[in-house]
Amino acid sequence: MAERNEAPVLEVRGIVKVFGGVTALDGVSMSLLPGRVHCLAGENGSGKSTLIKIISGVDTPDAGEILIDGEAMSGMTPARALRAGIQVIYQDFSLFPNLTVAENIVLPAAIASRKKLFNRARSRPGAQRIVDELGLTLDLDADVEKLSVADRQLTAICRALVQDARILFMDEPTTALTHSEVARLFGLVRKLQERGVAIVFVSHKLDEVLEVSHDITVLRSGQLVASGDAREYSVQSLTVAMTGRDVDTTRLVNDLGKRGAPLLEVSRLDLPGAFTDISFDLAPGEILGITGLLGSGRGEIVEALFGLLKPESGTVTVNGAALRPGSIRSSISAGIGYVPEDRLTQGLFLEKSIADNIIAGSLDSHARGKVVLSQKRIAETISTLFTRLRIKAPSVAAPVRSLSGGNAQRVVLAKWLATKPKILILNGPTVGVDVGSKNEILTILRDAAREGMGVIMISDDVPELVSICNRVLIVRRGSLVAEFDSEQIEAQRIQEVMAA
Amino acid sequence: MPIRTHQSAAGQVNSRIDNTVRTWISHIHVDRGIGRMLVLLVIAFALFAVLNPRVFMNPLNLQNIMVSAPEVGILAIAMTLAMLTGGIDLSLVSIANLTAITISTMYTGLVGSDPALAESLGGVIVLVGIAVGVLAGLINAFLISTVGITPILATLATMQIFNGIAIVWTGGKTLYGAPQALSAVGKSTVAGVPVLFLLFLVVAIVIGLLVNRTPFGRKTQLQGANPTAARFSGIRSASVLYGTYLTTGLLGGLAGVLFVTRNPTASADYGTSYVLLVIVIAVLGGTNPMGGFATVTGVVLATLVLQVVQSGFNAIRLSSYEYSIAQGVILIGVMVFDQLRFRRRTRYVASTQTRNIASMSNVGEDADETPDTAGADSVETK
Amino acid sequence: MTLAQRMKTLAPRLVGANNEGVLAIIIVVLIIVMSLLSPSFFTVHTLFSIVRSALVPSILAIAVLLVIISGGIDVSFAAIAIFAAYTTVHLAQQGQFDPGIIGILLFACAIGAVLGFVNGAVIARFRLPTLIVTLATQGIFRGILLVYIGSRYIAQLPDSMAGLSTANLIAIDSSRSYLPLLVVPVAVIVLIVAWMLRRTMFGRGIYAIGGDTEAARRAGFPVVRFQIILYMMVGAIAAIGGLIHVILNRNANPQDIVGTELDVIAAVVLGGASIFGGRGSVLGTVLGVVLVQLINNSLLLMGVPTAWQRAAVGLLLVVGVGIQALSARRASRRTFVLDTVEA
Repeated sequence: MAERNEAPVLEVRGIVKVFGGVTALDGVSMSLLPGRVHCLAGENGSGKSTLIKIISGVDTPDAGEILIDGEAMSGMTPARALRAGIQVIYQDFSLFPNLTVAENIVLPAAIASRKKLFNRARSRPGAQRIVDELGLTLDLDADVEKLSVADRQLTAICRALVQDARILFMDEPTTALTHSEVARLFGLVRKLQERGVAIVFVSHKLDEVLEVSHDITVLRSGQLVASGDAREYSVQSLTVAMTGRDVDTTRLVNDLGKRGAPLLEVSRLDLPGAFTDISFDLAPGEILGITGLLGSGRGEIVEALFGLLKPESGTVTVNGAALRPGSIRSSISAGIGYVPEDRLTQGLFLEKSIADNIIAGSLDSHARGKVVLSQKRIAETISTLFTRLRIKAPSVAAPVRSLSGGNAQRVVLAKWLATKPKILILNGPTVGVDVGSKNEILTILRDAAREGMGVIMISDDVPELVSICNRVLIVRRGSLVAEFDSEQIEAQRIQEVMAA
Repeated sequence: MPIRTHQSAAGQVNSRIDNTVRTWISHIHVDRGIGRMLVLLVIAFALFAVLNPRVFMNPLNLQNIMVSAPEVGILAIAMTLAMLTGGIDLSLVSIANLTAITISTMYTGLVGSDPALAESLGGVIVLVGIAVGVLAGLINAFLISTVGITPILATLATMQIFNGIAIVWTGGKTLYGAPQALSAVGKSTVAGVPVLFLLFLVVAIVIGLLVNRTPFGRKTQLQGANPTAARFSGIRSASVLYGTYLTTGLLGGLAGVLFVTRNPTASADYGTSYVLLVIVIAVLGGTNPMGGFATVTGVVLATLVLQVVQSGFNAIRLSSYEYSIAQGVILIGVMVFDQLRFRRRTRYVASTQTRNIASMSNVGEDADETPDTAGADSVETK
Repeated sequence: MTLAQRMKTLAPRLVGANNEGVLAIIIVVLIIVMSLLSPSFFTVHTLFSIVRSALVPSILAIAVLLVIISGGIDVSFAAIAIFAAYTTVHLAQQGQFDPGIIGILLFACAIGAVLGFVNGAVIARFRLPTLIVTLATQGIFRGILLVYIGSRYIAQLPDSMAGLSTANLIAIDSSRSYLPLLVVPVAVIVLIVAWMLRRTMFGRGIYAIGGDTEAARRAGFPVVRFQIILYMMVGAIAAIGGLIHVILNRNANPQDIVGTELDVIAAVVLGGASIFGGRGSVLGTVLGVVLVQLINNSLLLMGVPTAWQRAAVGLLLVVGVGIQALSARRASRRTFVLDTVEA
C-alpha cells in the first residue's frame, strides 16, 4: 500500500463555482494520494457532482486551481483530463444511448489517443477484455438504450476502466447494482488501488463508503466542512458532518385524538417487480412516514397512489371512494397531491415565474365557470401562500430557477397547498434543502396536518421521520415489513429494521 | 422591489406582495418580444419615412401594409400557439389554401346554377371553409397527441398531404371566384383603417386572452415549459395538444378566408414563402421555439415590423430578395443578441450571489434582479 | 434450433438498425406489383430514369442526413446548393474561362463550405436552434445570390460541364435508355460518406453528439469543432448536388432547387433517420430517396395524375413515422417495468 507522505497525484485548491443564482462550490480544496480510496461525502446538492465536473474539465471553475502531479493545469478540457488519466463514472452514466456497448466502452479511449479512424470490429476485443476481466456478462453489440439500468451502470464502469486511469471518480456507482455486483466492484476497487490508482468514491450509502475508504472529505452547501482519515469516522459522525447538526430526535408530533374513519385506505396493492401486497391507511391529520433503502419499492408505492404507476391489483380509496388506478387526474380530483423526488424536472417549471408555478396545479379552480381566470382570486392565493410559506424571492414574477433549493421546494409545496389537498404525499421533501428551510418545511407540514390534511412522507432521513411522524412504515424488497406506532418510534430501531 | 423579508413587519410584507402580484397580473409577461419589436418598428418606420417619404408615407401605402399584414399575422399567431407547446405547425399555409379552395369551389359551383343563392349562402360557405381548417387541425392533433409523432414530422407530412389534395383538386390551376360580400369586406374601412386589419387585431386579442387569461392557455404554457412537470401537476397533454392544434387549424382556416377576401382567387401554391416567414415572425416576436414562452403582442408587432420593412424596401426600390436577406439578418441578429445578453445576465447574477453568500446575507434576495424586470417593478410598485 | 427460433434471431438483422430491411422489402414488393400491373414498368428504361431522377435528391439527402444524425435539422442546404453551382457557372461565364471540371468542382465546394461555415459557426458558437438559424441563412444566401450575383437564367454551360451533361455510362439506343456518367461521382460520394460515418472518429463523433451532446463533451469529443466541420462538409456536399443538378438540366437557373427542402427531409426521415438525432444510415437514406422516386414513377405509369405525388409521399411519411412512434411508445412502457424490476 502507498505511503501516506507520498506526493498527491491531484490537488484542487480554493475551487469556486456559481450557477445562475446558487453557489455550488465555495472555496473547496482536496488532495488525492495514489493508491488510496478517497470518500467524497455530502448530501444531495452539496456540490460533489459539480466538483467532479470541474476536475474532469466539463465545467470551468470561477476561481481556484487544479494541480496534477504538482503542476497547475489551466484551461482544463475533458480531453486533457482524460489524457492526464482522470476517469469519471458519472451518476447519470453519460453514455451514448444510440451506440453499442462496445463502442461506448472504447470510444473515449480512442479520442484520448487522438485516433482519426475507428474500426468497430477491431475495437471489440478491447471491450471484451475489460468485460471479462470484471467477470461481467454484457451484450457488447446491444444498443445502450436497450439495456437495463444496472447494465448501463456496468457499461459506464467498463468504459472508465478500459483506459489506464490514474485517478478514478465514481459518482454513486452502486445505486443500481445487486449485492454480488457491488462485492465484485469493491474487489476491483482494491485491485486498482494496489496498482496505485487514486480513487474517489461518492456514495450516500455511508456504511459502504466507510468499508472501502481511507480518506474522507465532507462537503455541505458547497463548503468543505470536514476532512481526514476515514478511521476516525463512524456512520453517526459522518451524518453529523454532512447535515451540520446533531442527530436530532426530539419529537414534536401533532396529537391525533380519537381515531375516526380513515382518510385513505390502501388495500392489497400489487405491482409485480415493484411491490407486493401493500395495505395501510391514513387518518385525517396524521403524518405517516414511509422509509426503506433505495430500490426497496417505497417510491413506487406512492407513485401508484398518485396514479403515475398502474398497480396490477388492489384498491386505493379516499374517504371511501375508490380511485381509478393509474390515473393522475383521478388521484388529484380525489384530493391527493404529490411532491416528487426530483423537484427540478418533475416538480417545477424552472423558467416560469414563482406565481405561475404556484397556481400550476389549481388553474381550473381559479377560473370563473372554468373559462376565465379570476385575476383577483389568483392574486389572493399567490400572496397568501407566498407569505405563509415565507418564500424568499425578489418578487413573485422571478423565475423559479433563481431560487435556492429550500425556496424552490416551498414553491412546490405552495403549488399543492393551492389545490387544498386532503392528502399530501412527499417524496424526499427535504433532500438538498438547507437546515433552516428544512425545519420550516417540517413546521409547515405539521401546521397543515393540524388542519386535517393527511401527510405521507418518504424519507431517507430517519431523524426527520422521528421528529414529525405519527407512524412510520418500513419497506423492504417491495413489502411492508414493519410498522412503528407513535410510542415505538425511535431512530436506532428504525435504522436496524431498514438495513436488515 | 425586492422584498426584504427579515426587516419588514408582516403587514407591510403583505401589502407589498399584493402590489407585486398586481403588477405582475397587470402586465403578464412584459418580455423580450414586445419592447424590442416596438423599438424596431419605430426605427423601421422612421427610416423609410425619411428615405422615401413620398411613396412610403402615402396613405395608400400605409393602407396596403394594413391589408396585407392580417393573413401573415394570423398564421404567425397560429405558429406561436404551436410553438408555445414546444411544437411547430408546418401545415398552416396548406390548411389556409385548402380553406380558400373549398370556398372558391363551393361558390363557383353554386353561382353556375343560381347566383343569388350563392351570394346568400356566402356565410355558410365561409363556415364550411373554416370547418375544413378545423378538420385539418384535428388530423394534426390526432397524429401528434394520439399517435405520438413529433410535431415537426407530423405537420411536415400533413403539409404534403393537404397540399397534395389541393393540387389534385385544382389540377394545379388557379380558381377564380369568391362570395362578393367577402370582397366587399376586404375593401371596406372604418375611419381609414381596413376592416381586415381590425379583424386581425380582434383575433390577436382573443388569442392573447386565451393564452393568458384562461386555464387552457396557462396549461399550454406550462406544458411547453416542462411537459414532465405538467404531467406531475395533473395537466393532461392530450387536451392541451388537441386544443392547440384545433385552434391552429381554425386560425389557418381563417387565414384562408382572408386569402379569398383579398383576392377572389385560390390555388394550391399560394403563399409558399409564408411557411418559413411565419416561423421567422413568431421567433422575432419573442416566442421560444422550445416552448413555454410567447407573447401575442410581440408577434403582432413583429408582423408589422416585417410588413413595414417589406413595404419600405419596395418604396426605396429594393427587391424582395433584399427583403429576404434583411429578414435573415434580423432573425440571426436578434437571436445572437438575446443569447449574449442572457450570458451576461447569468454572469451578473452569479456575482451578486457570491457577494450575498460572502457577506452571509440571505440567499435568493437579489437573485434575479435583472436590469429590465427590476426597473419595471420598482417603477410600478411605488 | 427450430425454424421459428431461427427466424427470431435472423429477423432483427434483416430489419437492420434503421429499418433498412423493411424499406428494401417495400421497394421490392412495389416493384413486383408494378411489374404485374404495367408491362412497361419492368424495363431498363424505367430503371435508368429512376436512377437519373434520384441522383440530385440522393446527394442532397446525404447532406441532410449528416445534420440530422448530429441532432440538428437544416433547411438552408438547397439555397447553398444552387448558390454554389450558379455562382461557379456565372463566374466561369463572365471570365470567359473554363477551369475544367475539377477546378469547377473545387470552386463550388469551397463556396459551399464557406456558407456551411456560417451555419456551423452560428449554431455551435451561440448554441441556437438549428432549424431557426438555417431558416435565416437560407433567406440570406438566396437573397445574396439573386441580388448580388445574378438572377438570370444561364442557358450555356462551360464546355467542361456541358460535356458531362450528355456523357453516359451506359447507353442503350434501341430503347432510348441512358444512364448518365454522373452516377459515378454520386456513388463515390455516397460510399465516402458511408465509410466516414462508420469508420472515422469524426463519423462516430457525429453519432455521439446526436445521441447525447453533453455525454460527447464529457467523453472528450471536440463538439464545437466537429459541428463546424460538419456544417462545412454539408455545405460542400450540397454544392456538389447543385452542380450535378445544373449539369443534368444543361442550364443554370438561380430559382431551382430551393423549395424542395422539405421533400428531401421527408425522404431522409423515411430512410429511418431519427429527427431527434443519433440514428440514420446512408443505405437507409438512399433507399428512402429511391422509394420516393419509385412511387412518383409508378403513379405516373399507372396514369395517376402527378398531382397525387405530394400527397402520396406525405401519406407514406405519416405511416412510416407513425409506426415508429407507436412502437417507441410501447418500447418505453416495457423498459419502464423492467427498470422497476431491476431496482
